[in-house]
Amino acid sequence: MIKKILIIVFICALAFLFLMSCKPKVKPTPPPPAAQEQPKVEKVEETPPVTKPSLSEEEIFMSKSLEEINIQAPLKMIHFDYDRFEIRADARPILDSDAAWLQKFASAKVLIEGHCDERGTEEYNLALGEKRAKSTMDYLVSLGISPDRMKIISYGKSQPLDSGHAEMAWAENRRAQFLIIEK
Amino acid sequence: MKREKMKKIITICVLSVFSCLPLFPQQEIYLTLKEGVPAIAMALPNFFVSGSSPRAREAAAEIHRVISEDLAYSRIFELLPKKYYDYIRPLDPKNISYKEWESIQASILLAGEVSEGEGENIVFEGKVYDVKGQRFIFGKRYQATKSVYRLAAHRMADEMVKNLSGEKPVFTSKIVFVSDRDGNDELYMMDYDGQNQTRLTFNKTRDYMPAWSADGKKIAFTSYRKLGEAGLYLLDLEAGKITPVSTRGTNFAPSFSPDGKKMVFCSTMDGNSEIYAANADGRNVKRLTFNEGAVDTAPAWSPTSREIAFVSDRSGTPQIYIMDAEGSNLRRVSFGGTYHDSPAWSPTGDRIVYVSRVENIFDLYVLNLRTNQITKLTESNARNESPSWSADGRHIAFTSNLGGTLQIYAIDYDATNMRRLTSQGANKLADWSR
Repeated sequence: MIKKILIIVFICALAFLFLMSCKPKVKPTPPPPAAQEQPKVEKVEETPPVTKPSLSEEEIFMSKSLEEINIQAPLKMIHFDYDRFEIRADARPILDSDAAWLQKFASAKVLIEGHCDERGTEEYNLALGEKRAKSTMDYLVSLGISPDRMKIISYGKSQPLDSGHAEMAWAENRRAQFLIIEK
Repeated sequence: MKREKMKKIITICVLSVFSCLPLFPQQEIYLTLKEGVPAIAMALPNFFVSGSSPRAREAAAEIHRVISEDLAYSRIFELLPKKYYDYIRPLDPKNISYKEWESIQASILLAGEVSEGEGENIVFEGKVYDVKGQRFIFGKRYQATKSVYRLAAHRMADEMVKNLSGEKPVFTSKIVFVSDRDGNDELYMMDYDGQNQTRLTFNKTRDYMPAWSADGKKIAFTSYRKLGEAGLYLLDLEAGKITPVSTRGTNFAPSFSPDGKKMVFCSTMDGNSEIYAANADGRNVKRLTFNEGAVDTAPAWSPTSREIAFVSDRSGTPQIYIMDAEGSNLRRVSFGGTYHDSPAWSPTGDRIVYVSRVENIFDLYVLNLRTNQITKLTESNARNESPSWSADGRHIAFTSNLGGTLQIYAIDYDATNMRRLTSQGANKLADWSR
């Protein structure tokens, strides 16, 4: 009899233990009664800005399209005397800074365009424009820019900047200017 | 799209050729004319219209007007004053009264007759008579639709010049030129009298400095169509195809030899502006000048295809030189100025027209190679340039900013008869077909 009772008790104990293990161990405490007083004022502050790693000039350069770069015209044009193609004294500092830019952005390739004023025939001006582009390129080569990065072309008198017909316009139109064609 | 347009233009050209083929062969009679010889007194009465067709009457009036303008422009003929015709009976093509035509001092008579043809066509028959000799010289009959009345008239005028003077006629010749009328510089062509201006190239970049091949079927030109290149290309008008000739460096100023075998052009492909020769199809490019440091440019063939006139500044200023077609036997022909450029050799061989700069005014001059005499052709406070001869050596097309904008003009070799051919947009760089 006692043995029977013991077995039942043992089974009950096992069943109890099993049920206990199934039940959540901690009974959630009932929510505290709603507070009666005003909520505490929380101060909202701006989240601090994320500090991005700063882009190098090269990276900014690479992120732009060729059109955008050419609109900003980082390479400045130079001007020439009438019928001449020698680099003028006032053009040297301009080309020096152009060369510095080309050294900084070493992947860039440029087209040097030679232009003339309207005086002179189409044929002679095409030849003269070519010489202006060539002397500009030669000067940049002398400053250490590889000739492989430069291409030259002549537009003769066909693309004036200023359509006027006086010395002011002519002086403006006798030029070598740059077009960045690769970066 | 480009091909389509080109094909359309070519189709029109080809159709117009067939639609006014002469229907009976010509007799060849030449009366040789010399310069200074008075022009032939020519009677060109209104054409006889058979029937009362308004179409035939309209065609007769237009063809008569165009032939009159052509022959007057030629300077070979002098048209009788219109009022002379009032003194005699009107033209009867069936019964030519030589005595009456002689009485109003006509040497040559063109008797024209226009009738309605099949479909939309008219038939124009022109018969040419020697009034003094009282004989028929030659006749032509053309069938044409309205769009080619002018062409039929030009054909008849061409035949008159060929048969009566032995000269090369110009009335069906074409002038190719550059115009920015549609936005940027493109190639166009027009009739010798400025009519029928037609666009030839279609792109957004500059096409430039065209030159006709000897047979008038191709045009060589410079194009900036590829970035960073000023290439020389050949436009085949029949096939509507453009092929590159030379694209390294700046390539320009093409000129075809009159014998149809060769072309020359200027290029900086070897670093300096030099003159190169190639076959007429653009193959087999060969360098002709070797002057590092000097500009050699603007080559132009002699009519014999044995010599080339060109410009070089090897003496310090641009001057005109002549060399053999192989580049040898060089001699300077311009002196006494500081800027001579753009030579064009007359088809008659004895003259070179060129541009000279004096005090920043650019004018055209004609150098007579026989007499070494120089005639000033243009007289204006302007820039006159890019001269090109007509096939008969009597007229010169050129560019001038005389009226403010750049336009194409034509003038005769003796500085008379100047007329403007273009007006829409800026127009330049005319080249007259042979």
